[in-house]
Amino acid sequence: MSTSELATSVIASFGTPLVPTAVALGVALLLFVLERRQDPLAASIAPFSVLPPLAAVVAVPERATLVLVPLIIGLVVAMLARNRNDLLHSECGLKLLWVLGPALTLSWAGMELLTLATGTSVTAEQWAVLQLGLEPRFLWSTALPLSLLAGMVLLGAAPFHFWMADLFHGARAWLAPLTAAAFQVMGAVWLTRRLTGIEAFPDGAGLTASMLAAASGVAFLAGAATLLGQRRPERRVGTLASLQGGIMLAALAAAHGHEDFAGSSRAMMGAWGTHLALAYTGASILARFLPVAPGLAAPGATLFRRHPITALFGALPLLSLAGVPGTPGSLVWLETARTLAATGHPGVLATLAVAWLAAFATAVQQLREGFGIPAHGQPPERPTPWPARGALWIAGLGLVAMAVAWGGRGVAG
Amino acid sequence: MSWLRFLRIPRPGATITGMLLCIPGLALLWWPSLWAAALGIELVATAFWWWARAAPDPSREIPRWAWLRRPAAALWLAAALHAAVPGLSHQSAWFRQSLELWRHVDAIAVVWAGLELLAALPLARPFSDLPGPLLAIRPWLPAVLPAAGFAVLWRQAPHWTQVAEVRTGTEVLLVLTGVLATLRAFGRRRWTASLRWLVVSDCAMAVLLITVGAVLPGVVLMLWLAACGGHAFLLAGELRGAAPRRGVALSLMWRVSTFVSSAALTWPALVTLFPTSAERLRTLDFPAAAIATMLTAWINVGRIVEAPERRTLMRADPVVTFSHLGALLGLVVAPVALLGALVTGFHPPVLVAIVAMVPALLGGALAAELAYEPGPHGAPRAAPDGVAQPAHAGTALRQFARITFNVVVALERAVVSFFARLAQAVTSPLRDLNSGDAQDFLLFLVGLSVLILVLPLLR
Repeated sequence: MSTSELATSVIASFGTPLVPTAVALGVALLLFVLERRQDPLAASIAPFSVLPPLAAVVAVPERATLVLVPLIIGLVVAMLARNRNDLLHSECGLKLLWVLGPALTLSWAGMELLTLATGTSVTAEQWAVLQLGLEPRFLWSTALPLSLLAGMVLLGAAPFHFWMADLFHGARAWLAPLTAAAFQVMGAVWLTRRLTGIEAFPDGAGLTASMLAAASGVAFLAGAATLLGQRRPERRVGTLASLQGGIMLAALAAAHGHEDFAGSSRAMMGAWGTHLALAYTGASILARFLPVAPGLAAPGATLFRRHPITALFGALPLLSLAGVPGTPGSLVWLETARTLAATGHPGVLATLAVAWLAAFATAVQQLREGFGIPAHGQPPERPTPWPARGALWIAGLGLVAMAVAWGGRGVAG
Repeated sequence: MSWLRFLRIPRPGATITGMLLCIPGLALLWWPSLWAAALGIELVATAFWWWARAAPDPSREIPRWAWLRRPAAALWLAAALHAAVPGLSHQSAWFRQSLELWRHVDAIAVVWAGLELLAALPLARPFSDLPGPLLAIRPWLPAVLPAAGFAVLWRQAPHWTQVAEVRTGTEVLLVLTGVLATLRAFGRRRWTASLRWLVVSDCAMAVLLITVGAVLPGVVLMLWLAACGGHAFLLAGELRGAAPRRGVALSLMWRVSTFVSSAALTWPALVTLFPTSAERLRTLDFPAAAIATMLTAWINVGRIVEAPERRTLMRADPVVTFSHLGALLGLVVAPVALLGALVTGFHPPVLVAIVAMVPALLGGALAAELAYEPGPHGAPRAAPDGVAQPAHAGTALRQFARITFNVVVALERAVVSFFARLAQAVTSPLRDLNSGDAQDFLLFLVGLSVLILVLPLLR
């Protein structure tokens, strides 16, 4: 195999879910090692063991079952609560438990109600039974939205976006990205599984279609408003992540009611999830090196002053999350917009446009704050650790490869 | 950047970096693609930011030029809309209601970008009063922005001229901008500031020609190049020892050249705006455009005077300089463009054509009358050092122009500020949704679940 063929196949592999997720896992390992080096007392490598299951959920979303959801959530919360002296982690774990626990409980209550009403726990059979019209409307119209609640909360789309910003702010840079990506993928899987085949029950399809459209509209508008008000870089990344949840909701709203709903959702989900894993990884590392709302006329961050090219390259994941044209993230935004336009959702498309503009503006603002104004005199002596710089380069290069791979065959293959 | 130091590659300074961003950005605006235009404006905005951050007072300069991202964002939106809604192509025959909506959004986005750069929107109108962020060419730099606005609106004309409501709104805004810009140019004492406002007025009048569809786009481009190019050349010349105003002959050439090119630019627009009984809007547009034309002619004729010679030892200048060629070019291109318009089907009624010439002639004649009012020995009015003086209108007239501009801008700012505060008041509760308090999370979730239970009951 010649060098060019090897390069082509390597780049093409970034179009599959496995390689970008593996790269994200590798970057997480690099950051984990960096943290161990800085804190030799915490020498155990056990915490890292939580990451492979999260990466597996991102890489193979179709294998994620509904039973897996509480297990993964429990694993992450246990990881966050592991060290009682780590206050940020503990607080973050507590918040996740408080939000995701009730959401799962309510959704299970909804599913049990549907089972009770229809006499079967198989989703496809439930729609057929409900189509007979024997059940009171009140029962299923309450149970159906309740059963979807966990999926929406896991997606992190506004108004359930609060936990996402807290996760990126409170959890370590090696843990937060894969956790966020895995939770969002599980949310998308939850909704897809619950809604597959609902076109056999038109009343329910109508109710959930309008609910998904309204939820994605609210996700984009509230997410955009929140994003413009955020001051901390980590929380900005978290809110950008919540907009990615809105994108998936919009894509599901567009595909909803069509016969190939499950297939098209799964195709979109693979590309979307792997992009999230890589982009979150890079963006959450960069966020640690960005100044906290210094205003535009303050000296730049150390990373940007000492290593401007690394900073520019490392900013690619942030730009990709914001959908800046040319990045793989922009292809995800554009693909969703195209689907919305083609399926006649002008309202959701308009809110998506608003969110995109807000995300774009925030990413540019963040970069400008990073560069700041020239600091006359020597740059600060404290260097940026090389593993962190290496991680930024790997995430940036991975996204470039992903953009090239997607450019050849489209987002959903 | 240790490897850069190792390779001995010098870091480019702010001036070079800004130029490397700005020049390709301006070049991209002339490409037909919306993506290229959006990238071009983004690069120009980045160049201004880069210069501003390196300026002596970055805390003042950075916010001053931050608005440049808005036109870029508007163009990105238009470009993305075309990518997302393939049927948006303006040749598309099939009709859907949502398609009309996106067509309007597309037109508004393109027009927004162009008009804001042209100082035709109330958001950043007074930017031409201020020098640019780059020290070396500070007075000249803001003139780039209206030219960029013209480039966007001229090149992307098919996106917005086919939407009637947008075209009508643009026409009103451009006429208002033309009047305000010439009033400001008339009211300012500093010649470089006046020239910057004349560039704004030229660009607004050129886009007005596109809006009314009087002549072919190529003709518009030639007329704009002659008029705006002349004023931009004068502005650049002011930074190089007022070269275009050195000597009686050269200043006279420039006076004639700018008068002819500006009059040629506004004449087709005035002819088209001439009111007929069917179009009430134009009964306001025509006098407004006529006032702008008259004031421009006044400034061109009355304020381009020979620069005072302060050198004790003269250097021998060549007989023909770039300044001579520049003036000559304007003098030739503008009439040729008008000839081209007449050949390609622009045939106004004779009476209307004559009436449309009156404002420019009147402005020029009044300025000439004041400028060349004979002194005690029949020579033009001159200062004690023997240099001709610009034909400033009376103080009262200039005061009136200044006050009018300031009042309009203050009113606009008040309205914009009101809406900004309203938006802030509406969106602030949304920000509180993310307070970071763990109890809020649970309460919110419980509230939402109760809503899910109660809503079907209410229905």
